[in-house]
Amino acid sequence: MSRVRVLGPREALSRTLEALQDLGLVHLSAPASRGALATAALEPRQLRLERQLKRILDDVRSATALLGADEVRTSASHPPGPWGRTARLARQVRREAERLQTRGRALEEERALLAKYQDVMAVFGKLFERGVAPGLRAYLVVLRAGQLGSVERLRTLLDGSLGRDFELRTHPLPSGELVLLLLVPLSNAPRVERLLGESGVEQVPLPRGYEGQSLADAVPHILERLHAIPGELEEVAKARAQLRQRLPELAEDAAAVHDRLSQLEGLRLSASTPHAFVLEGWVPTTEVRRLTTRLTETVGPSVSVEELAAEHWTAEAPVVLHNPRLFRPFQLLVGMLPLPRYGSIDPTPFVAIFFPMFFGLMVGDVGYGLVLALVGLLLRRRSRPGTSLRAISEIALGCALFTCIFGVLFGEFFGDLGRHWFGMRPLVLDREEPRDIVSFLGLCIALGLVHVMLGLVLGVVSAFRGHPRQAIGRGLSALMLLLITGALLAAFRILPHQLLSPLVVALLVAFPLLIIAEGLVAPVELLSTLGNVLSYARIMALGTASVMLALVANKLSGAMGSVVVGVIFGLLFHLINFGLALFSPTIQGLRLQYVEFFGRFYSPGGVQYRPFRHWRNT
Amino acid sequence: MQLLGITLSAALAIAIPTLATAWAQSRIGPAAAASLAEKPELSGTVIIMIAIPETMSILGFVVAMFIMFRAGG
Repeated sequence: MSRVRVLGPREALSRTLEALQDLGLVHLSAPASRGALATAALEPRQLRLERQLKRILDDVRSATALLGADEVRTSASHPPGPWGRTARLARQVRREAERLQTRGRALEEERALLAKYQDVMAVFGKLFERGVAPGLRAYLVVLRAGQLGSVERLRTLLDGSLGRDFELRTHPLPSGELVLLLLVPLSNAPRVERLLGESGVEQVPLPRGYEGQSLADAVPHILERLHAIPGELEEVAKARAQLRQRLPELAEDAAAVHDRLSQLEGLRLSASTPHAFVLEGWVPTTEVRRLTTRLTETVGPSVSVEELAAEHWTAEAPVVLHNPRLFRPFQLLVGMLPLPRYGSIDPTPFVAIFFPMFFGLMVGDVGYGLVLALVGLLLRRRSRPGTSLRAISEIALGCALFTCIFGVLFGEFFGDLGRHWFGMRPLVLDREEPRDIVSFLGLCIALGLVHVMLGLVLGVVSAFRGHPRQAIGRGLSALMLLLITGALLAAFRILPHQLLSPLVVALLVAFPLLIIAEGLVAPVELLSTLGNVLSYARIMALGTASVMLALVANKLSGAMGSVVVGVIFGLLFHLINFGLALFSPTIQGLRLQYVEFFGRFYSPGGVQYRPFRHWRNT
Repeated sequence: MQLLGITLSAALAIAIPTLATAWAQSRIGPAAAASLAEKPELSGTVIIMIAIPETMSILGFVVAMFIMFRAGG
């Protein structure tokens, strides 16, 4: 990155900002105000415009959310205002969307309310359609679930009070409640109402709008309304769909609004004297010449670009991760942590090598690798370039490649099926054999040693410029790690035993030096580093668990008796194992990167490079 | 009797750390979910936090395997 200062006459500021926005290269930052140079403040007219533009964006967002649409993609260049027309359009669409949503909700609520009566209608509808005979009074009563005893209590009370002068019918509802219909002579109505109250039953209240009517009168209207509601809901849905067609136009306008707001923000980040302006920001070093040429072409020779000396700004410079095409998807994994600080090491290339390698080492099965490749290819076909999904698909393909490679080396195809079907043989290690599992553990620890050592070396390189003492400490830690490993190997006679004494002496010399370089925390740090190396045993543990599960799947499906049941059972078990194989190795592989590896050199705290450019949501 | 002792030792070697892992993750999980709801950019840190206690289970598994292999199981 290079920090640049753009200078020019004050009247050229707007044109310069437009040119910078078209170019989309400069990450603007406020210049330090000194002398006559004052940070720019927006004029009242511009502040009013800013408020209006923000209201437009609020309206667009609300309308988009209310219409249940995804954010509409827009082209890269947008026509400017007039803002009055844009504001009216946004407000109109938002209000109409709100009205339709309110109408739709009201209809849904009404339907839900009336539907409660539908069950009652289904049972007693015919009675109400024909009407209750003159001189009779009908009571429709709902008993809550579990209160069936109330029916008998009511019947007893009615028997005692009216003799046989009543008709009582019940019907259970799907919801568990019980509908009760009571027909009595009109003259006995007051007495019956008192008895209903005494027995503790609850009368069905009529929905709002039907309160004044009798149930017999209300029923046909309720049924009619229930039939009419779906049609009205359909009309609301059609109106919403029509309104949604206006969103692309609105999105284009919103993009122009975003651009204008960015320009106002750019104005805020400028500084000026009565006659000149200053803009400062960061540009990729390779683009400084293009910036100068383009500004001279579009604004004129009165605007100049000056590159500032690097030593004053390195700590605050923004960061952009830039890697070769092959490694780029893995920036997604690095991006899950805060960005590395400017000038520190971008770990993406290392993650791109070690993450799929660890994943492959853990799963290590040609069959699972092929299935994973298939999943990766499907995801790739369904994703757009530059999206997270595309990156995930490419990471999956990388992991699948290593899984297949290690699958061949371990002779595994869905566990031991490859050995039975194709005569596959392990080329390096047989993860089913206890003796080879110990060798596998050794391989994983050795790999961990290499990985952690690499992290320490990167830490030395990273700290060398700014913190030489820290760099020496990390170098000594790496050396101690090597010496300890060598001494252990010599002690177990894997290396010549004669090396043990010189290695121990070297350790005794290096240890005080480490304490001098890093202080009293050095021994703790060293122990933590050793723990980190041992942590790579998880690769062996997960790998062994994975192969054992695959073997169990094959053995159990073979013991089923029926071929069909055995195949289905085996497929299900392998599917579960594949799911586990996707999840656990990913998490553990990431952990090995983030904790064991990054912990040795990674300096978080970088600021994302956000060039001043046209707004785009693509 | 010796076989029972070996099997039980291996089982305990994996069971105790796994219970400890489960307890630790039960405490970390809700806190992590709450953190992610407010700051989605912490996803990397959350993965680390949740994966850290799993070390106990994994190392327990390694120890259990060694017990079994040493015993010729």
